[in-house]
Amino acid sequence: MAAVTLTNVVKRFGVFEVVHGANIDIADGEFVVFVGPSGCGKSTLLRMIAGLEDISGGDIAIGGKVMNDVEAADRGIAMVFQSYALYPHMTVEQNLSFGLRMNGNPKADTERRVKRAAEILRIDELMQRRPKQLSGGQRQRVAIGRAIVREPQVFLFDEPLSNLDAELRVQMRVEISRLHKELGVTMIYVTHDQTEAMTLADRIVVLKAGNVEQIGAPLDLYDDPANRFVAGFIGSPKMNFLGAKVVDTSNSAAIIELVNHGGARLHKPLREAFPAIGAEVVLGVRPEHFFVAGQGDCDIPVKADVAEHLGSVSYVYANAGPEELILEREASRQRASGDHFTVSIKAERSLLFDKAGARIR
Amino acid sequence: MRTQNATAYRFLTPYLLIFAVFWIWPIISSFLISFQATRTVPWRFAPAFNWGRLIGDPAFYNALKNTLLILVIQVPVMIALAIVMAVLLNSPLLKARGLYRFAFFAPVVVGEVAYSAVFRLMFSLDFGIINKLLNSVGIPKIDWFSNVTPAMALIMIAVTWRWAGYNAIIILAGLQSIPEDVYEAATLDRVSKVKQFFHITLPLLKPVIVFCAVLSIIGTMQLFTEPFLITERGGPGGGTETLGLLLYRQGFRSLNFGYASAVAYTMAGLAIAITLVQLWLMREPK
Ligand SMILES: Nc1ncnc2c1ncn2[C@@H]1O[C@H](COP(=O)(O)OP(=O)(O)OP(=O)(O)O)[C@@H](O)[C@H]1O
Ligand SMILES: [Mg+2]
Repeated sequence: MAAVTLTNVVKRFGVFEVVHGANIDIADGEFVVFVGPSGCGKSTLLRMIAGLEDISGGDIAIGGKVMNDVEAADRGIAMVFQSYALYPHMTVEQNLSFGLRMNGNPKADTERRVKRAAEILRIDELMQRRPKQLSGGQRQRVAIGRAIVREPQVFLFDEPLSNLDAELRVQMRVEISRLHKELGVTMIYVTHDQTEAMTLADRIVVLKAGNVEQIGAPLDLYDDPANRFVAGFIGSPKMNFLGAKVVDTSNSAAIIELVNHGGARLHKPLREAFPAIGAEVVLGVRPEHFFVAGQGDCDIPVKADVAEHLGSVSYVYANAGPEELILEREASRQRASGDHFTVSIKAERSLLFDKAGARIR
Repeated sequence: MRTQNATAYRFLTPYLLIFAVFWIWPIISSFLISFQATRTVPWRFAPAFNWGRLIGDPAFYNALKNTLLILVIQVPVMIALAIVMAVLLNSPLLKARGLYRFAFFAPVVVGEVAYSAVFRLMFSLDFGIINKLLNSVGIPKIDWFSNVTPAMALIMIAVTWRWAGYNAIIILAGLQSIPEDVYEAATLDRVSKVKQFFHITLPLLKPVIVFCAVLSIIGTMQLFTEPFLITERGGPGGGTETLGLLLYRQGFRSLNFGYASAVAYTMAGLAIAITLVQLWLMREPK
């Protein structure tokens, strides 16, 4: 078991810089998820930790030891690949034991470890099959099993569930979570799926175009995002962003006007910064934070375009003016397509961003 | 469905006709000819005439022995060499990859007569560069064309030079179809590059290697150009005569079509038998 520390880590491919000085502290035994849109550098970061990519700048330490010049094989990590990367010509059992056998590990110990991994992942029955004869979920288990057998200090996962269907994905997600509890080992997990990130992580690292946007516990990112990107990325369905203008400020609040909603005004208490009068800002409201008319601080009229009732939850896609809004829960119950109605926004349930996307608190 | 098939076959008819006349018929015809005495006019049916002669013919056994000897030594050496060449070609460290790929493939497109002439020059007793090179490292010069063992070696060297690159290109395609992340997984499994080669690369290349070996065996069974042109019709004194050459001598020089057909069928039969044995030996488990 080991902590992992990234200090000013930079990655360049030729002249093209794809990671711009990442600082990430991962505690021993923590489950950290790297999340971000495609191409933001998640895999690159993970592969640098694994030792499969050179580090162009900065330091990566595992268990307190700087690993920049340590061979991948000697870093004490195991990685589960998106494509599984099983050895196609070997049986499941041989796949699991290959690394140990090649390194002259005592036979009895190898057998013990393979048996244990097979039990943990419930793949005992598949031991004599080849990867070709396995389903996607079973292959994934074998790939994880191969990592377990190594008894690594750190587990790395690169989008391990993205080739599975939705149901299996949920099932494997629970298994990986269980595995983390059982082994208590540091795990770093890459995904572009925010649901996976929210459900698995102790802490989430949100990346965008090679920059760390925010690091925090799932609910902290949800409740208190540092900027508009994180606010939009975490949470499903996405947060609504409403165009607004500052019309007045006091020493503890700003009055903003929702320009696309008939000039509705919201008194937004602020603690840290006060935007200039006339400044263009953006108000972020999560779908589940629209309330029944009159219950909030600012009412806006909307027209339901499409209503989706899933039973436990209802969504309304409302096109109020030029801004499409998604509403959930109370505000959307019992609504049908074409309905005109009014919803309400609460000041403490909304977030203010400046034009560049930075949070105004 | 039916009418579609009929239309398809109508389009295929011209080809099928040509195929039947120039492929199927000669195959059947030569099989029949191998059972006839063709030294008399008219030919007459005499099964023992050719096949019986074959079984007792020292020239046939000599040619068979030479062919198999070349096969057993040259094919494995060439395939091993081709694998090494393919791995080098596939190395990310290699510069000017395209140039090497062309150079490896070039021998296949060089005209047979031209290449044979160059080989004769290079291996000539007094003027050849090979003997000069051997001399310069203290090895006495070798008379490549007058002694059986060097002549056989020369044939094998020539055939290997000509076909190793061709096989290397095929194996290279196989190498490139092995996903990179399998090697990365092995690296993280602490498996050294050498062990990766023997435990991952070779097993995964097996189908391609079998394919190359089968092609090479079929090619070597029919070996003709090199002993005909380089060692001058199987010289010295039949020392490098192959089945292909024996067939040529009987069919085209002695105009003994019956016997030549019997030799041809023997060659084809052997090639098929060896190939089947090999496919069986290299079959996938289960
Ligand atoms: N070998 C390489 N050479 C050049 N550029 C590369 C290389 N590998 C990755 N990149 C670039 O680095 C950036 C980050 O790639 P990376 O694979 O880390 O993205 P990612 O966040 O894992 O995306 P995804 O979710 O699609 O897997 C991309 O812009 C990509 O084009
Ligand atoms: Mg990736």
